[in-house]
Amino acid sequence: GYPNISLSTPLPGIPKPLFASVDGQEKYETKITTLENELDKKNLHFLKDEILLTLEKHGGICDCQTSRDTTMYAVSAEVKGLDTVVSLLSDAVLQPRLLDEELEMTRMAVRFELEDLNMRPDPEPLLTEMIHAAAYRGNTVGLPRFCPAENVDKIDKNVLHSYLRNYYRPERMVLAGVGIEHEQLVESARKYLLDVKPVWGTSSAPNVDLSVAQYTGGIVKMEKDMSDVSLGPTPIPELTHIMIGLESCSYLEDDFIPFAVLNMMMGGGGSFSAGGPGKGMFTRLYLNVLNRHHWMYNATSYHHSYEDSGLLCIHASADPRQVREMVEIITREFIQMGGSAGEMELERAKTQLKSMLMMNLESRPVIFEDVGRQVLSTGKRKLPHELCHLISSVTAGDIKRVTTKMLRSKPAVAALGDLMELPSYEHIQAALSSKDGRLPRTYRLFR
Amino acid sequence: MIGMASVSYAQSLLGAPETRLTTLDNGLRVASEETGHATCTVGLWISAGSRYESEKNNGAGFFLEHMAFKGTKKHPQTALEQQVESMGAHLSAYTSREHTAYYMKTLTKDLPKAVELLSEVVQSCSLNEAEIEQQRSVVLRELEEVESNLQEVCLDLLHATAFQGTALGHSVLGPSSSARNLTRQDLVDYVNSHYKAPRMVLAAAGGVSHDELVGLAKSHFSGVSFEYEGDAVPVLSPCRFTGSEIRMRDDALPLAHIAIAVEGASAASPDIVPLMVANAIIGSYDLTYGGGKHLSSRLARLAVEDNLCHSFQAFHSSYSDTGLLGIYFVADKNNIDDMMHWSQNAWMNLCTTVTESDVARGRNALKASLVGQLNGTTPICDDIGRHILNYGRRIPLAEWDARIDAVTPKMVRDICSKYIYDKCPAVAAVGPVEQLPDYNRMRSAMYWLRF
Repeated sequence: GYPNISLSTPLPGIPKPLFASVDGQEKYETKITTLENELDKKNLHFLKDEILLTLEKHGGICDCQTSRDTTMYAVSAEVKGLDTVVSLLSDAVLQPRLLDEELEMTRMAVRFELEDLNMRPDPEPLLTEMIHAAAYRGNTVGLPRFCPAENVDKIDKNVLHSYLRNYYRPERMVLAGVGIEHEQLVESARKYLLDVKPVWGTSSAPNVDLSVAQYTGGIVKMEKDMSDVSLGPTPIPELTHIMIGLESCSYLEDDFIPFAVLNMMMGGGGSFSAGGPGKGMFTRLYLNVLNRHHWMYNATSYHHSYEDSGLLCIHASADPRQVREMVEIITREFIQMGGSAGEMELERAKTQLKSMLMMNLESRPVIFEDVGRQVLSTGKRKLPHELCHLISSVTAGDIKRVTTKMLRSKPAVAALGDLMELPSYEHIQAALSSKDGRLPRTYRLFR
Repeated sequence: MIGMASVSYAQSLLGAPETRLTTLDNGLRVASEETGHATCTVGLWISAGSRYESEKNNGAGFFLEHMAFKGTKKHPQTALEQQVESMGAHLSAYTSREHTAYYMKTLTKDLPKAVELLSEVVQSCSLNEAEIEQQRSVVLRELEEVESNLQEVCLDLLHATAFQGTALGHSVLGPSSSARNLTRQDLVDYVNSHYKAPRMVLAAAGGVSHDELVGLAKSHFSGVSFEYEGDAVPVLSPCRFTGSEIRMRDDALPLAHIAIAVEGASAASPDIVPLMVANAIIGSYDLTYGGGKHLSSRLARLAVEDNLCHSFQAFHSSYSDTGLLGIYFVADKNNIDDMMHWSQNAWMNLCTTVTESDVARGRNALKASLVGQLNGTTPICDDIGRHILNYGRRIPLAEWDARIDAVTPKMVRDICSKYIYDKCPAVAAVGPVEQLPDYNRMRSAMYWLRF
């Protein structure tokens, strides 16, 4: 049988370039990054130069990206290259050669990326990894997204093949396109994707991990010397970063939209500048936190949502000596989310969310990803105006309800830097279950 | 293969929505493209920038950008911010060497309000003294942060040395002394000398109706002046290019950032397209590109196989009467000599032995990138604004396509030779640059004795 084929919507105006992709869904493996670099350009039937030449004839560019729950192979090219592009994709995805020398090159690229991650002054990717590991201890989306250093050498052709055998199966794939006729895409798919034998064989029962993400909560700490992280001549002050999160909900549930509005209402960003009017300077994290406490370097709210669970978290950074105060400010903000939202505030958040949604959907790659992901998880696509309608109907009562539900979950905490002043996990948990969000008083004999 | 898609490439190029252009009585131009989106971007593009500044007021444009959203006569700061936030709109601005832009991304239904706010920001910015004092420290802080962005530093130094002693050598941000000493009067003088209607374009892209836009422009922008005080119309002095080099050696930095450039073509020159194709042949590269030694650009393949650099890109910055055609790369301190050698080799290749397949590849890549960049209302609006300022009209994709198709290998060889072969380059280097060859050696790599 073959993959669900999705709707392709020809765009008004200039439909070029065409995007086609195959989505593979997984969130259970740590071998992802290696694959990403690998499968892009190597495959059985085409020699490397042929692939490039073929693509170049149609002015094409290709890319492969993995996230926690999806892998995307995207090619964009001139429309008359549709057939060629689909055949290239089919080859790249289903019949990669995975030669030893290619694997070695990829291992180098992966090692470089890991090194780069640790060197960068911006801690966000690291913190995101840590908060997921804390929130979903040892399972599914809690597993590291980037290949851990110790695993890089262990990955070889067999490991990759067993992974591919399990997860690159027709029922887990979607072919999506933007700017092309649906019928043409279906025809190309039938030609190149139906009944093609993948190079790893269609053998035995696959060993698919069907686990559902289990939210556990917990804390992950990383002591790191952040006193000299600047890559240039200007020093960056030493900061400790914390991220505190609570369970929200999956994007399949109705409560997803209120959570998105709540995330928009919290907003936040860097204390230096919001980035100009319109970037959330009246959101709660700016008004209540950054504008009042000038020693905080940043406070930003994030919402990660997957097929079976979600995580709403707030990232904050400050000087190591003020970590305790910073944590308390964040826990109090969480508790105040459960209070009543002002009418103007709510309207503004809803308008900003709708506006951001529409502005993002101007771009073809974004539409394409939206189509692919929605069809992959729900089998259909909610159109932008439907989503806008759902956003408009969120009420203050909805916000209160989802916040109360969220506050009942066990907190997930990630902390990076000099952690001397970090309150214990039990204290943070107590603060998030208290009425006002304050940390329990500690008595210290020696100041 | 008939009917591969709803529309073919050629059909869609010809059928692309037309950019409509109207000029108001005071010389202000209004241009828009109706794309049918529910959102739009509308903004003012002005022919003003660091090139129009002098030694004394270098940095005024940048400072003004910081003051722009701090309140107008009708909307004090908080009111302006709240308006924009409640509309769910984004208000932004940028200043470059020859252009300044103030633009807003918003839902199409809010177009009238957006034009009104933009007109206030540009025409009646309050330039509050207290706010100016406060913004000084913000500007200084930003100058400090930019120092860490070594790519910006390197390219700024490149301009400073290539166009030394002339207005294009000025950095857009200005020196820190400007941030400390510019007065309200300096900013007012800057606005009065440069914010004139014939030098402005109101551009929009998205679900906008051109006629509605023209109506809004007439009601809000008719008052923009088109006369200069003392009838002194500013004349842009020519900017001479000087082959030279500047090195900022700092062995404490982990990587070296180096740029080498020759004088390029001006924005309206017919040589622009062959030069863009030539740059597409050299292309760009970054260590995180997974393609490895299968990348199409020869320089990229060498970079991977011999581990020459962390990244490189071929660039062409063009201004109204000159330009910079160059290669910028980031390398480890032990690979600088090799990387420079192969970069210049790539240039020599373009001047002498570039083949039909290279040029075919470059043409396709260029077409794909031109089309691919116009992805959303903001890039389209920016394109419209800059084109009208540079060329007086929007150059449609169909025309770019035709001009790109007309490029032949002989044309690339001839034009590259005209700009690159045996010319004195300008070089800027930042970081642990001990290994960078002496200028005379780099100069002698700009020609080959075998010809």
